[in-house]
Amino acid sequence: MPISSLSFVRVTILSILIGLAALLAIVAVNLWLVRQAAVYSATVAIATGERAAIVELRNTLDDAETGQRGYLLTDGNQAYLAPYNEARRRVRENRDRLAALTKNDPAMANDVAKLIPITDAKLAELQKTIDLFSAGQREASLKLVNTDLGKRLMDEARELFATMVGRSEARIDAATQSQKDSIDALQWVTIGGALVILLVVGGSVWAVFSYTGQLEQARKEVSTLNVNLEQRVRERTADLGRANEEIQRFAYIVTHDLRAPLVNIMGFTSELETSLASIQSYIKQHIDEAAHDEVAKQAQIAVLEEVPEAVSFIRSSTRKMDGLINAILKLSREGRRALRPEWISLDTLFKTAAANLQHQIDDAGGAVNIDTRVSTLVSDRMALEQIVGNLLDNAVKYRAPDRALRIQIRAHETRGQRIIVEVEDNGRGIAARDHERVFDLFRRSGAQDTPGEGIGLAHVRSMVRNLGGEITLRSQIEQGTTMQLNLPRDLRAILATQTGAA
Amino acid sequence: MNKQARPVSIVMIEDDEGHGRLIEKNIRRAGVHNEIVPFVNGGDALRYLLGDDNSGEVSAGRQLLILLDLNLPDITGIDILEKLKNNVHTRRSPVVVLTTTDDAREIQRCYDLGANVYITKPVNYEDFANAIRQLGLFFAVMQVPETT
Repeated sequence: MPISSLSFVRVTILSILIGLAALLAIVAVNLWLVRQAAVYSATVAIATGERAAIVELRNTLDDAETGQRGYLLTDGNQAYLAPYNEARRRVRENRDRLAALTKNDPAMANDVAKLIPITDAKLAELQKTIDLFSAGQREASLKLVNTDLGKRLMDEARELFATMVGRSEARIDAATQSQKDSIDALQWVTIGGALVILLVVGGSVWAVFSYTGQLEQARKEVSTLNVNLEQRVRERTADLGRANEEIQRFAYIVTHDLRAPLVNIMGFTSELETSLASIQSYIKQHIDEAAHDEVAKQAQIAVLEEVPEAVSFIRSSTRKMDGLINAILKLSREGRRALRPEWISLDTLFKTAAANLQHQIDDAGGAVNIDTRVSTLVSDRMALEQIVGNLLDNAVKYRAPDRALRIQIRAHETRGQRIIVEVEDNGRGIAARDHERVFDLFRRSGAQDTPGEGIGLAHVRSMVRNLGGEITLRSQIEQGTTMQLNLPRDLRAILATQTGAA
Repeated sequence: MNKQARPVSIVMIEDDEGHGRLIEKNIRRAGVHNEIVPFVNGGDALRYLLGDDNSGEVSAGRQLLILLDLNLPDITGIDILEKLKNNVHTRRSPVVVLTTTDDAREIQRCYDLGANVYITKPVNYEDFANAIRQLGLFFAVMQVPETT
């Protein structure tokens, strides 16, 4: 599954959020459970206190009864009266303490409220028996004991105590159980949270690893593509070089083969003229005889006018054709010339080129401005001189007649070890539809008012391409033209790739 | 050309008959009246020069001047040149390479193989005619050895 950088960021952020949420949940649950534990502990403490108080009250009540029984059984032994009195005092104390402990607990408070009259009654019954006994009324005292009132009261009190102790113990049990439950819950929540965090961290780590892996893979692919691309560019360049070479070879062969018959046509035209001259001189000698002979007259016209006219047309046409073939030949020869890369100072080259045309430029009232921001490059001097010379030549040749000629030559570096050379003029410009056409062989643009064969720019483009460059133009009709060359900084590198790939 | 007992024959190997005829006419204009033996292909020319057995004995005792075009339909002029210069009977015969090619390597090659003169056919006819006439004048003063 490929991970996009966006989804990676989403997944990562989501994981972090989930992890954070899990952590927060654990902390929150922990806090809550600790609070609960505190509550349960408090409950247990209270319930234990209550229980202790209840048991204490019951015990002191028992002690009071035990003291009373001892006193009665020993026929008024005062030694038993002291524990009785002590127990009696503590019964009240304990009862008050229990009432205080349970005042917030309705059920307990209710029981304590029931217990107060019972214990009061019991204490009163005990006191009464002791009082009677002390007063010597032993019979009455024992009789009072025998009424079972004390026992009944005591049973009621015991029953209440049991209920209360049971309730307290139930509470303690419940609280303990709750505490245990909450500890369990805490454990599970912690384990669960830890699992979630583990999962999230694991997921994040997996995502990071897999994303990193994919990045690495992508980087490898890109670098492979780059290598392939370079290889392809080299192959294409080599293909182009071969195609170019083939075209030049083709042009060379074609021009040679075309030239051979042309030499014949021209040669035999010459021969024809030579022969014609002798016929003409013969006809001229016999011109008087022809005056009366219709056939002779026609022969005279043919030899003196028609044939020379035809021959002159043949001559001019072959001459033109010869010119065209020579142009192609020149192009193909230029392409076949071995390039000699050397260090060239562009500024010097521009100045020389401008100086070569100084005469024409002065005639046009023109000026050349050179702005070179590249000191040197490695290229073929001869080709470069011809290119710049040709462009300057065109600037002068196709100047606008109504304004002073201004030529601007600029050179600067650009990306990829390339150099841009621009030759800008304020001449008559080239119509947009002819921007590509002017580079074609035998094609010219605009008014055909200057001599030319339409070879110059074709030749320039051919040379620029041989130098591993490209030429383009920007032009506005009636405004001027800027010819832009994009040349490699070092021709040797281009030649190396061509031969290396070929 | 030397006016000795054995007349010099000019062997012209040129596949374009028109060119051949023009060359002949212009050589004649220079006042050269020697026999011109034309061939339009390499095979026939080699048979004439070296004989059917390729030994070259047929040329023994001949005085030959060879005008050679490099672009021939069957055998390249270079091959013919090589054969002539490697044959004991024809190796001293002057060979004038007269061709359209002006490739520097080609020119070098021809001289390496023993060509005596290399002339590039001028492009336009006037120059061409002029060059051939001058070649004719050159022929007129040139000594051609008898082949052995």
